[in-house]
Amino acid sequence: MTQSSCDALHFFRGGGMMEVCGSSTVSLREFGCEQSLLSRPDGSASFTQGDTSVLAGVYGPAEVKVSKEIYDRATLEVLVQPKVGLPSVRERLQEQCVRETCEASLLLSLHPRSSLTLILQVLHDDGSLLSCFLNAACMALMDAGLPMSCLFCAVTCAIDTDGQITTDPTAAQEKESRALMTFAIDSTERKVLMSSTKGSFSVSELQQCIAVSQKASEKIFQFYRDSVRRRYSKIL
Amino acid sequence: MPTDTKRVRGPEVSQSPSLFSAKPAAAVPSRGPREDGRQRDQVDVRPVFVRCGLVSQAKGSAYIEAGNTKLMCCVYGPKETERKDETDMKCGRLTTDMRFAPFSCPERGSWIQGSQDKDLSLMLQESLQPAVCLHKYPRSQIEINVMVLENSGSVLAHAITCASLALADAGIEMYDLVLGCSIRQDGSSYVVDPSYAEQNSCSSDSNENQGGLTVAFLPSLNQISGLQSDGEMTEETLTAGVRTCIEGCYKLYPVIQQALAKAVRKAAPPPSES
Amino acid sequence: MAAGFKTAEPLEYHRSFLRENCRPDGRELSEFRTTTLNIGSISTADGSALVKIGNTTVICGIKAELANPTVEAPGKGYIVPNVDLPPLCSSRFRPGPPGEQAQAASQFVADVIESSELIQTEDLCIERGKLCWVLYCDLMCLDYDGNLLDACIMALLSALKNTQLPEVTINTETGSPEVNFKKRHELRIHKHPVATSFCIFDESILIVDPTSDEESLVTAQLTVVTDDEGRLCSVYKPGGTSVSGEKLQQCINQATARQREIQKLINKVISSVKTAQ
Repeated sequence: MTQSSCDALHFFRGGGMMEVCGSSTVSLREFGCEQSLLSRPDGSASFTQGDTSVLAGVYGPAEVKVSKEIYDRATLEVLVQPKVGLPSVRERLQEQCVRETCEASLLLSLHPRSSLTLILQVLHDDGSLLSCFLNAACMALMDAGLPMSCLFCAVTCAIDTDGQITTDPTAAQEKESRALMTFAIDSTERKVLMSSTKGSFSVSELQQCIAVSQKASEKIFQFYRDSVRRRYSKIL
Repeated sequence: MPTDTKRVRGPEVSQSPSLFSAKPAAAVPSRGPREDGRQRDQVDVRPVFVRCGLVSQAKGSAYIEAGNTKLMCCVYGPKETERKDETDMKCGRLTTDMRFAPFSCPERGSWIQGSQDKDLSLMLQESLQPAVCLHKYPRSQIEINVMVLENSGSVLAHAITCASLALADAGIEMYDLVLGCSIRQDGSSYVVDPSYAEQNSCSSDSNENQGGLTVAFLPSLNQISGLQSDGEMTEETLTAGVRTCIEGCYKLYPVIQQALAKAVRKAAPPPSES
Repeated sequence: MAAGFKTAEPLEYHRSFLRENCRPDGRELSEFRTTTLNIGSISTADGSALVKIGNTTVICGIKAELANPTVEAPGKGYIVPNVDLPPLCSSRFRPGPPGEQAQAASQFVADVIESSELIQTEDLCIERGKLCWVLYCDLMCLDYDGNLLDACIMALLSALKNTQLPEVTINTETGSPEVNFKKRHELRIHKHPVATSFCIFDESILIVDPTSDEESLVTAQLTVVTDDEGRLCSVYKPGGTSVSGEKLQQCINQATARQREIQKLINKVISSVKTAQ
């Protein structure tokens, strides 16, 4: 990959990380994405949100094991590799979230009886890991050129003890928070594809967080667009 | 030791509170009536409760409760064999899997199947195989899964009874039902259908004739399909023990027959007279 | 005829019922299956409960053991929940270590315990930095007919409410613990989280308490966990087709109503067990 290093794109927004809910701007950390940085997989992407960084690789469509074959669509397998040690039960739940979200946006019925494998390697975890997984997965699937019905992005929101909502929290902010929610939003209708929460919260807090995430998703989709445009403007 | 990554893990080590009991548990007396009021040296089996067809997903299932021993068994199949290499083309295969729930014994069991479970699975399979018409199911396998929910002794014997009932409920062709009964020989006296404490106790006064015996019996053919014994017993004691077990099986027989008849009647109700 | 149609065209079979606003088992779209609860049936466990939601059966047995607390949290005990889907409960599960679904369910249960603060792990501490309780909560599915998570959370809550821990004193001379099995006390249950699962059929029709047949055909699943104060402990939707805010609100309302019903059921069974003793 010769041009890979200059593909990386960063964008900055706002001074502080903290964000009061209801205001018109939503602050996210510095985002970065680089596609096709690995030569072996059919599609790959690295995604960074502040210090959180994930590397994703997609293999497929390829031959599928008979035991996992589905007659009318492709079998998607997601593997999450932690930074150190072996994947445990926690990673299994994250895998399930990523897999089912990808399944909803991919047009799997175009590749019946074949396998797709998505591998997510944690490079560094500094909060909002699940949202970074999903964003990296979407970019990698896009890079692999797999047919999708829509794109998706994910946003993590943390509610602190004062009831303030912080989007894209760092690990320290996550620890201080009372509740933590991650939503995946689709690009066509801006509806919730995936939801995973921790801690207890009220219904109105949930609705606020969804609204904030939908707002933040605009920015992430814009980032996707800029990132892809930047990349192809060089190739073409 | 490799860490288990497929389960939520607790601390590295933990001890059962019974190790720190202020008063050690009293030994089971080797004379007089038994703890649950049953008679020693008599064919006094615990009253059993049996039901068929409780599990909706299985082809056949059965649940048995004898005293506090509770176990259930599900039968899946016959279906295509998974292991093609050792398939006998003319004959079906019977696979058994017996497991103890982690909370089934007084001491917490591990998640991973121990050697005891595997031994019991094998004995269960060997006891049931002669009763099943396996030649009727060529190139297929029948799966028997037993789960012990609470272990209060004589688990293997009840597992055999329960499994044969589940097989019958699944409509698998059999020559006969298989009934299980076990005894615990303690010196000159014996107890039928021992409880967990009786099974693991040992009175110190005699070292001879200490052992346990489980018999799997086909009641209408009057044949023994499985016999498992451990400990040290004289020839006469052993043969007497086998006879006692057979007597115990005959006591169970009507209860099992009734349960099966009830299940059949429920599955195919007799045409109502109108 | 109907059986053949069901096997050959399962999706079309279900659709034909849903068009008439009912389901193959005769339920309405927002109707739960009969839920039964049996508490304290396993005498070898420190607490136990058996839950049946329709055909789905889950048994939870709790075993308490003693251990040293971690250095990071010297005043806290442990709760170790594990869900097992043995090959006994359905032909879709293989023997061996827990599969993906069982692992995901175990983590979900662990997350709910943490999020809801069902039990405060500080209550499990016996002596700070030295000794604490470990509650091994083993959830075993005996019959798998869909809606595993609801049954698991309910079985866990009921079993924890049934748990009686023996009194432990630390001998001042020897420093070793002494357990008095005669004197037992109940656990303090702070919250009553109840899970309610929904499925989205054909990207628009919302059904509640799905069976395993329905689960295999739907386009998305959603589980909402609420506690006694009407707060949400978990809104878990692992992907699938998108859900609108309106539908989500509908789910939350139903989950809140369900929480009250289930809590009432649990309290009723607990008190009947107590009077029987």
